[in-house]
Amino acid sequence: MSAAAYWIGADIGGTFTDIFIVDRASGSCLTGKVLTDHQDPTNSIIDGLSSIAQRTGIDLGATEHFLHGTTLVTNAVIQRRGAKTAMLTTEGFRDAVEIGTEHRFDLYDLDLEKPAPLVPRRWRRPARERVLADGHVELAIDTAQVEREVRDLVDEGVESFAVCFLHSYRNPVHEQAAREIIQAVAPDIHVSISSEIAPEIREYERGSTVSINAFVAPIVAPYLRRLGLRLHQEGIPAQLLIMQSNGGTCAPDVAEKHPVRLLESGPAAGAIGAAYIARAIRRDRVLFFDMGGTTAKAFIIDDAQPLLARELEVAQVYRFKRGSGLPVQAPAIEMIEIGAGGGSIAYVDRLGLLKVGPDSAESEPGPACYGLGGTRPTVTDADLVLGYIGAATFLSGRMRLDVEAARRAIDEHIARPLGLSVDEAAWGIHQVVNENMAAAARVHVLEHGRTPENYTMVAFGGAGPTHAYGVARALNLPEIVIPWHAGVGSAFGMLCAPVSFEMAQSRSVTLDEVNWPDAADLLETMSRECQAQVQRAGVQGTELVVQRSADIRYRGQGHEIQIDLEGLSWPDVDTNEVRRRFRSQYRDLNGVEGPDHPVDVITWRTSVRGPIPQLPLANPDNGASPGAFVSRPVYFAETGGFVDARVIARGELKSGTSVAGPAIVDLGDASISVGPAGEAQLRPDGLIAIRLERRES
Amino acid sequence: MTAIPAYILEILWNRLLSIAEEQAQVLMRTAFSTIVREAGDLSAAVFDRRGRMVAQARTGTPGHINTMARGMRFFLEEFPVETIRKGDVLISNDPYKLAGQLNDMCLVTPVFHHDRLVGFFASCCHMVDIGGVGLTADAREVFEEGLHVPFCKFHVEGHENRDVVRFLRANVRTPDEVIGDIYAQIAAGEIGARRLEQLLTEFALPDIETLSDEIVSRSERAMREAIQQFPEGRFSFACMNDGFDVPIRIEVSVERRGSDIHADFEGTADALPRGINVPLAYTIAYSSYAVKCIVAPDVPNNEGSFLPIKITAPEGSILNPIHPAPTAARHILGHFLPSVIFGAFQAAVPGTVPADSAAGLWVTQLSGRRRDGTSFAFAFFSCGGMGARVGKDGLSVTSFPSGIQNVATEVIEVASPVVLRQRELRPDSGGAGRQRGGLGQVIRFEVRTDGPCTLSAMYDRIRYAPWGAAGGADGAAGDVIGANGRQITPKGRSLIEPGEEVTLRLPGGGGHGFATERTEAAVREDIRDGYITPEAARNVYGRNIEPGASTLDYGKE
Repeated sequence: MSAAAYWIGADIGGTFTDIFIVDRASGSCLTGKVLTDHQDPTNSIIDGLSSIAQRTGIDLGATEHFLHGTTLVTNAVIQRRGAKTAMLTTEGFRDAVEIGTEHRFDLYDLDLEKPAPLVPRRWRRPARERVLADGHVELAIDTAQVEREVRDLVDEGVESFAVCFLHSYRNPVHEQAAREIIQAVAPDIHVSISSEIAPEIREYERGSTVSINAFVAPIVAPYLRRLGLRLHQEGIPAQLLIMQSNGGTCAPDVAEKHPVRLLESGPAAGAIGAAYIARAIRRDRVLFFDMGGTTAKAFIIDDAQPLLARELEVAQVYRFKRGSGLPVQAPAIEMIEIGAGGGSIAYVDRLGLLKVGPDSAESEPGPACYGLGGTRPTVTDADLVLGYIGAATFLSGRMRLDVEAARRAIDEHIARPLGLSVDEAAWGIHQVVNENMAAAARVHVLEHGRTPENYTMVAFGGAGPTHAYGVARALNLPEIVIPWHAGVGSAFGMLCAPVSFEMAQSRSVTLDEVNWPDAADLLETMSRECQAQVQRAGVQGTELVVQRSADIRYRGQGHEIQIDLEGLSWPDVDTNEVRRRFRSQYRDLNGVEGPDHPVDVITWRTSVRGPIPQLPLANPDNGASPGAFVSRPVYFAETGGFVDARVIARGELKSGTSVAGPAIVDLGDASISVGPAGEAQLRPDGLIAIRLERRES
Repeated sequence: MTAIPAYILEILWNRLLSIAEEQAQVLMRTAFSTIVREAGDLSAAVFDRRGRMVAQARTGTPGHINTMARGMRFFLEEFPVETIRKGDVLISNDPYKLAGQLNDMCLVTPVFHHDRLVGFFASCCHMVDIGGVGLTADAREVFEEGLHVPFCKFHVEGHENRDVVRFLRANVRTPDEVIGDIYAQIAAGEIGARRLEQLLTEFALPDIETLSDEIVSRSERAMREAIQQFPEGRFSFACMNDGFDVPIRIEVSVERRGSDIHADFEGTADALPRGINVPLAYTIAYSSYAVKCIVAPDVPNNEGSFLPIKITAPEGSILNPIHPAPTAARHILGHFLPSVIFGAFQAAVPGTVPADSAAGLWVTQLSGRRRDGTSFAFAFFSCGGMGARVGKDGLSVTSFPSGIQNVATEVIEVASPVVLRQRELRPDSGGAGRQRGGLGQVIRFEVRTDGPCTLSAMYDRIRYAPWGAAGGADGAAGDVIGANGRQITPKGRSLIEPGEEVTLRLPGGGGHGFATERTEAAVREDIRDGYITPEAARNVYGRNIEPGASTLDYGKE
């Protein structure tokens, strides 16, 4: 047996820090879950690693790669715990980040609050300068005036600077000059300039992005340095890589400069893990479903690639209400998130309807069945009453659940007001939350011009395996696939992520007037920059994959479509071929043929990534051993109520044999429900596949 | 079918809402009109076979959603259910029966399940152009405002009605975009129809009548319960509006009797031979929206929630004009109606209703020739401040009562020869009060052309500022100034010289409660952020606060 070579993934979440270790030499895997230490999150990682090392006796000195994802950035923005940040803007436009889109995201709520900008107005200062839309400098920057503002702000105790000037995505010279002025006045202060962080058109979104970057940079850099130091002290000599929201990883110094790209690293890592599974099982249409304690997320993974979004929104004032958060122009894995998790609270609304979420009992007081003081019924309470999770086997028996408390909560708040039995009410909660998730997933899939019926579901998360069956049935999907480590999916996903970096540059031009050699130069410049960033993480030049694309739209429309520019005869590109690609994607997306109308290119994009790591899916140490036949009553609508369902531990499943539903497969951290229309099978690669009967549609 | 269990009802209802949402999303992506895509000025909804609206997309403005909800019956009067065949698609832009303006085109797609009509999908979408003089407030008859498409069939049993298409194409400036948008509406309707059929199959339902009965009756019941929380009686309010060239009077009395609310605009000024007249359908849409905001914002908006609300206006008044009065700029007064209704509610439940908002979208439409000789036409939208709420300051620069989004400065400058010089909050424009009104904004721009260009303005609240409530002060009124301080007409067309700087100062919202009751800390913070000036703090709030080191004075207009 060759010497061990560990790759470690560590995902710091709001409640738990998940760790996944794979030995690349033997293929064996280890997992760990510890509570997150919010004072010093690096403690959670070190504690988790030490306890695994103690338990198993592995030598972490043999670690090659250490991949890390964290909610640090997101939490800093949500809790407004970043640096005192100032912003320089073009004179006359310092309120762009406060005025926003002028939109009211709820038509009827007169009491609503809009997200306050991270930089208060007193610290948003004008710079006398002007660049026009074509990049021409109309008014040269007044360096003396800018310096006065900068000195004043530094005197005020400002700790970080964001710079966002009009049309800087087209011509960055003034932003660069402003940075020099700031650095001359205060050499140690952080400066983020929008032409580097997000060179895309729209001053509100770009300004919001650069101000978030400046706001978090001064806390991210010390954190990453401390983590590197502690790993070093623990004798873990690994190359540290950081997870980004686009599903790629990057070197720590790249992350320090672009912390805004770390915003959704946890969910992105999960999606990359699911994409890895999609590739392994050769399914080119995968719907990834991730359900935890407070939220559920759905992702589209086509051809083993998660769909990417060009924008995301953070720190929503109203949970899950689009438009109530701060916009970020940064590549991110596309997903839909709704307030549906194990802790989501069920209630009866004023119309007499049974509603579930988005309010959550969180981990405190938690679901009623936790016995920690929660009295309102949650999804977990319903799942317990229905037999989907076991009172004695929850989290491998680490926490005993109180069935009577769950029944009481459901009886008082749901069953009696609606005139139902407790069992019916629990079934109602389970059904409603499944339907909510299915509806969100359906809209998400349809919005992207796909139809859900052809998709295989891959499910992760503490509650994902329990609800996958109901959601997949509601969507009429043919199959569900769940890995044994579904409970630590994000930590696993990080290990599957390639090193990558992406850049975008807005430059509007009519498609027919594109000068392709110039465009090739622009993309080449961006590509070189991306390559440099990727190579910082130790990737060899020969392993790089470059992907060029452009956001294109009909003139007069507002919705751009990202069009692949690979496979063209650069630099003598056939414009008609690009138009054909655009029109074909337009038709797929919207279900209608686009008109014969001028087409504009808005933004040019380049992404560069390293190779995708190869990982084992099964845990060879987790051999099959037959256990005693255990069963418990489980409720399924198809069987008209409770039936005796077999309960099987993951380790008892034999490769190749099938188990027909109704059955429960206990994974330790999570539990898979297999209803009467399903049949579960352990695949040779260690994944659990559930085949579902389908309705005709 | 017997009563539906509460959790199944929740599931089916959610499904209907997400189908309507999907229909709207497709439209947003494929529409050519800037107003549709930037402003979300469209609506999409599901109707049962009796023509009752049961679910709508979240997107959209009250002017579209609520007019379409009530407009369906006119389609069914013209085409009774038994005359509608599979594959038919109905169309109209009747401004008096639908969305109040010829540019707003309604398309109705019937849904068949097992060869039986089970419901409809309808959408309303703002067309880029509808012919006539173009979108302006100064036409004298509706005939000048463009092509009127009467209730007719755009598709007959799956075949395009070529005559209708030819009439349309021949009468608009941008036939490809207009027909393209209509096709997009039809495609969205077809998608909705397909989804509804799938839903019926999945749940083995013959139609949605039982479901819609539940939706309508539960919504109506919730609405009536909410109305009954209100004091009984009759509450009146009268105010002035800028009007077109001379001020006009608007009067309303709102009466709660039992679980019904009736708002009557008796006493309101007569219709004008100018496009600011508001057809009754649009008057009803914004008035009932305002009632719902105050009485029951969380009750779903559908046929059931409309039933207890009755809105009337005297025939021939500016809020119920008679054909052929022009209506193209009906949104100016339409958006003002919530202010009027809230005024009456102030009397009914003093101290709980927000102060008045700048209500009224400012539409700036510019057209002319670029320096290279090509022609351009570009519109952008801007909002003032909202009124202060009970316990909360008003929102600055926020659209109300419509739900539009602005166009980014950079996008304006890339797409047109317009160059903006300033777009910032307008200090001291929020009405003083214990809670301060939201600030308006200052926009300065010039147009880089060789010759003059045309500004078609639709601006309101120049004469009459948004009023304060419960002792709060009024917000600042708006104004429009050209070079050398010349006044530019706020409604209608004027010529702008090349390089002439135009300044728009948008109104701020009214304050709530007495200014002297505002905490010193809040006044101090407002000064630090430049929302108010030290002079205002002294003169209006009665506080002497010296500007500190960080106090800004960049608010010069």
